[in-house]
Amino acid sequence: MAHTVQPSPGDHEYTTTGLNHRKLLMWVFLSSDCLFFGALIATYMVYRGQSLNGPYPVDIISVPITTISTFVLLMSSFGMVQALSATVRNDQKAIQMWLLVTAALGAVFIGFQIYEFNAFKNEGLTLGVNLFGASFFTLTGFHGAHVTVGIIWLLGLYVAARKGRLGPATSLDVEIMGLYWHFVDIVWIVIFTLLYLIGGFDAGPTVFPGGSG
Amino acid sequence: MTTSHVENESHHPSFMLYVVVAAILFVVTIVEFLLIWDKVGIDDDLGASKIPILIILSAFKFAVVILFYMHLKFDANLFSLLFVSGLALGLIVGIALLGIFFTFEGNPREYALANAVPYVHEGEGAEHAGEGGESPSAGPVDLEVGVVGDALQFDISAMEASAGSEITLTFNNISTVNQHNLVVVQAGTKDEVATAGIAAGADKNWVPPGDERVLFNSSLLDPGGSEVLRFTLDAGEYTFVCTFPGHNITMFGDFTVSP
Repeated sequence: MAHTVQPSPGDHEYTTTGLNHRKLLMWVFLSSDCLFFGALIATYMVYRGQSLNGPYPVDIISVPITTISTFVLLMSSFGMVQALSATVRNDQKAIQMWLLVTAALGAVFIGFQIYEFNAFKNEGLTLGVNLFGASFFTLTGFHGAHVTVGIIWLLGLYVAARKGRLGPATSLDVEIMGLYWHFVDIVWIVIFTLLYLIGGFDAGPTVFPGGSG
Repeated sequence: MTTSHVENESHHPSFMLYVVVAAILFVVTIVEFLLIWDKVGIDDDLGASKIPILIILSAFKFAVVILFYMHLKFDANLFSLLFVSGLALGLIVGIALLGIFFTFEGNPREYALANAVPYVHEGEGAEHAGEGGESPSAGPVDLEVGVVGDALQFDISAMEASAGSEITLTFNNISTVNQHNLVVVQAGTKDEVATAGIAAGADKNWVPPGDERVLFNSSLLDPGGSEVLRFTLDAGEYTFVCTFPGHNITMFGDFTVSP
């Protein structure tokens, strides 16, 4: 039964699963990233409402502004699927345009986040000031880091596209990038719902024994 | 061992489908926003029931993105299996964590409520500083120090006096839950003294006995307690601090004695 498998240099890749290894690797990574963000989100939820001093979410969170940045990120996912679709069609102009649009929308999202972090800092919310600050900045900061990595990756693909290296034969490069990008998008869907829509109105404890001195 | 070729022609959805998905994501996000925006008013009618609605809506968006934008609906089952395993494991870990925290030791929020501190915007607290500080004078000086509610903070951040003047310092622990003391130490030594105080123990009022860095100290006051200290100081920089374990991090102020 000895049956050696020779990797062939052609278009075909040999696998035991019938699936492309790089794509499989990306899905394994995303699966593990679920645990990473799951732990951070769970930590936020455990600490929710436990801060002993302000600022509390209701003091500083602006849901309308973050709704806009959420739209921006959702629409960047649309740009991403268009980039992939253009790659499969070998429409070089469209590949470049949609990669740039996606990266630009990602950058706008990060811009909103920088603005938000700065505004929160000015209101007195820092990583160390209370449990809300610690769990909020850790979770959204790591998400922002994921988006930033995605933007750099997109720009790398854009450079490759400019050199004409992207097309139907290399569409997997764009598809794998897309998986990462959409994953970052769905993580934000969860964060937006839990931290902003549901948790954004959390006030501090309403009863202060003995009142304030 | 079986091998097979990679299938590269997965069925990618059409342009129209992508547009429809984007529109769905757009509309659902608007609905979510309207649900919680107080100016719309749906917020009040729904009350707490909006939370499950919001979770279902976001789960729907989540599913739409992974099924269509990430092609799981059209792609190999192994990818779905892999991703859903990680997702499920993450969810289970999260739910277990929440379960542990909210059932094992009661509700942490009760503790938070009992120990909460009102939020003072940056700048607003400045007016407290120096409120009780007296201007230096050669004669007797009366000083009064309190506590900011149940916070671990004195209600003033600085005091002044002149060298040799008779200082009468009244310390009122108005906290309803915390014990406090007031210890006058050489500037820059508050944390070392507090650490030494922990070793001395509550019996010694959390103050190290015979420590030359300590000039004067009150006893450990229970909530609502008050004590008057009378002393004189040489010119120099001092710190007043509460050495109850942990309080020294936030509960201190400068005590300047001018020549």
